[in-house]
Amino acid sequence: MRMLVPAILVLLSLLVAPATGPTFAAPARDTLVYVADISDMISLDPAVAYEFSGILVAQNAYDTLVAFEGEDLTTLKPRLAQSWKITDAGSTWKVTFTLRQGVKFSTGRPLTAKAVAFSFDRVIGLNKSPAFLFKDVAGLKEGDTKALNDRTVEVTLPKTASPQAFLSVLTFTVGAVVDPDEAMAHATGGDRGEAWLRNHSAGTGPYVLERWDSESRAVLAANANYWGAKPKVSRVVIQHVPESSTQKFMVESGDADIAANLTPEQARELTGKADVKVQKGRLLQLVYVGMNAKHAPLDKVQVREAIRWSIDYDGIVRSLLRGEARKVQTIIPEGLFGFNASAPFQANVARAKALLAEAGLPNGFSTELLVPTGPAPGGVRWADVAAKIQSDLAKSGIKVTIKETAQAQLLNIYRAQKGQLVMILWGPDFPDPDGNVTPFTDYAAKSIAWRNQYEDATAAKLAKQAALEPDPAKRKALYKELTDRILHQGPYVILYQPTTRFALRKSVQGFVWNPMAFAEFKTVSK
Amino acid sequence: MGLVLLGVSVLTFFIAHVVPADPVLVALGEHARDDQIEAYRKAYGLDRPVPIQFVTYLGRLARGDLGVSIRTRRPVADDLGEFMPATVELGGAAWLVALLLGIPAGILSAVYKDRIFDHLSRLGALAGASLPVFWLGLVLLGIFYYRLQWFPGPGRFDIVLSPPQVRSGLLVVDAALARDGAALRNALGHLALPALTLGLFSTAVIARMTRSAMLEVLYQDYVRTARAKGLQERRVIVLHALKNAMIPTMTIIGISFGSLLSGAVLTETIFAWPGLGRYATASAVSLDFPAVMGVTLVVALLYTVVNLLVDLIYARLDPRVRYG
Repeated sequence: MRMLVPAILVLLSLLVAPATGPTFAAPARDTLVYVADISDMISLDPAVAYEFSGILVAQNAYDTLVAFEGEDLTTLKPRLAQSWKITDAGSTWKVTFTLRQGVKFSTGRPLTAKAVAFSFDRVIGLNKSPAFLFKDVAGLKEGDTKALNDRTVEVTLPKTASPQAFLSVLTFTVGAVVDPDEAMAHATGGDRGEAWLRNHSAGTGPYVLERWDSESRAVLAANANYWGAKPKVSRVVIQHVPESSTQKFMVESGDADIAANLTPEQARELTGKADVKVQKGRLLQLVYVGMNAKHAPLDKVQVREAIRWSIDYDGIVRSLLRGEARKVQTIIPEGLFGFNASAPFQANVARAKALLAEAGLPNGFSTELLVPTGPAPGGVRWADVAAKIQSDLAKSGIKVTIKETAQAQLLNIYRAQKGQLVMILWGPDFPDPDGNVTPFTDYAAKSIAWRNQYEDATAAKLAKQAALEPDPAKRKALYKELTDRILHQGPYVILYQPTTRFALRKSVQGFVWNPMAFAEFKTVSK
Repeated sequence: MGLVLLGVSVLTFFIAHVVPADPVLVALGEHARDDQIEAYRKAYGLDRPVPIQFVTYLGRLARGDLGVSIRTRRPVADDLGEFMPATVELGGAAWLVALLLGIPAGILSAVYKDRIFDHLSRLGALAGASLPVFWLGLVLLGIFYYRLQWFPGPGRFDIVLSPPQVRSGLLVVDAALARDGAALRNALGHLALPALTLGLFSTAVIARMTRSAMLEVLYQDYVRTARAKGLQERRVIVLHALKNAMIPTMTIIGISFGSLLSGAVLTETIFAWPGLGRYATASAVSLDFPAVMGVTLVVALLYTVVNLLVDLIYARLDPRVRYG
């Protein structure tokens, strides 16, 4: 007892001690604190990172040859490349880049064409998650990127690859340029510096990676050798805060400047608060229902069209998602080149019933809808969206049984072509329409069209033609023709394109969310 | 102990492999092509029959190799080494909270039975035992961090400060070793709310058990004799009653370690505490078998060691219990 009382007093004094001392350090004006769930961060090497949070860091520490700026993913802007041109070399495409002058890596070494060739070959040689963008999408092999002189890089693409899609791929971290000398100085066992670059940086970007503590934080500091305008905040702390309620507390109390994972309800609670503002961000995901085109009666075009005419899309977007999404009905999301704004469908029971009668099913039919467990993009549960679809389809005489399954298990069924109706989402791997169009239309690509057993030779041919078309106007026309076709013939009900939301301190300016799921902190001030 | 660990590894291995979902699909995502999936399966040995996978796993385990995490792609042992100290620090602090609050509350409750302190303490114990950790954590954070600003926010250390040099991995210890008073205060401040959140359930259970054990002992003949021979009441309670009452309490203290580890998952999520609980959840969600099995083994090892220690302390408290 004699020991216990002092021990309790010591403990209590420790607990209360912070309250009596000075308040805890709030972020300084030159430090931006961004709180998010970064548990997916496994490497910050641009040749390895393919997770949202890893890409967020790498995009700020490295530069790419070309870039999409802000929310616009339709106009390529120069970055490390001052200019570029695509030439038809007969059996191949040649894409030639002229590099910007006077660019230095954070290490102080100058950027050269050789560094670009090294970086591209490194991605292919390491063959990690993002390597397929070079190897499969662009058809590149090691040695296809050549330094013609110090400032000129030439990439040779096979005629089967789309040069436009390649340029879009280059805006992504996979196309980041790494300082070859720095990477090789830290190479171990032929890893071209991979182990070291996991938690260090060697790029030309506005920031350098100061430290990364797993499941805790990544800290970026302004790159003293940056070639562009000096970043407005000199340090960015990306802090791991998995729980969204905690993120909300932090941004409200001023300990965080930006919170990235608020639920729609939490964002609504913040509207009207004096010190905090809510900003929406566009995403390129599409939430859709796939219909197995070989599973009767979904094999009939009229039945698929009847399902599309049964659903109350406006109700889903306005009432269920409370405006956290946009109504989009074609397979290219808004924000990408080739987006087709056509959205003819809205619940029309009479029309749906007439289509079912035309298909020989005047009394409707029964089917199964497979949905993932947990939250769907836009802030509601997948099961809630499914229940809405079930009730909408019932009005047309289509009886739906909802089957809720863990996403990994659902994918097993879907990938084995064993689903009837499957609700899921898709986001493109790279900011080019081909990232959606080939998976959605080409059966041979063994992706979404394959999973829904949709074989449409005309659509697949159009997709290939559009991907390879170097002339933007012609390409746009081809995508219009293809998306119109899939809108009515295809096995998809595109339900909505979700948005995301951020809570920002009122003082934070210049924060722009790139729909490929990252932000460039160099434009942010506070 | 070896048998317990073997049993745990067999169980976790087979439970993990009964799950009807594919860890490779979780790791590679929906866009992965069949050839990538096959290559990945091969790289992690997931293409081989389950019994062979198990034998390989046991063989590696015998050499101290816990395998490579499917999610983080790093050796599981490295991951555990990185996340373990945060959980040990939090769990240790929570245990301290539970012992330093629970035992005195239980003793005082028994001594002042049916008086106001007893009622309050029992009410507190009821609340502590029934409030969900998740809710409690958010409420404590909402009141003491957000409203009153008495405590710093989530995480182990202030976001804008640099933590002390890593020696033990326990920030409080590292700050003390570095003789950095500000860092120590900062680390303790960050530790207080999560330790309280995590420790409250165990506090309640320990307080209840101490109270009932004390009540039982206080009416025994030897306590009456001690009082009759004129001993001070404090000596009677501490030296005669408490020592015997601690025997059942020790069992609960050992068992409460298990609840601390399970509660750590939620506490670490709310307070953004980069520990084993968060690692275990993230691994389980992504069906990262090697990581899940590594965490389970380490936790089982810790639990067994703690309960072994409890057994040894029994022998000290009660001379009738002797081993060997």
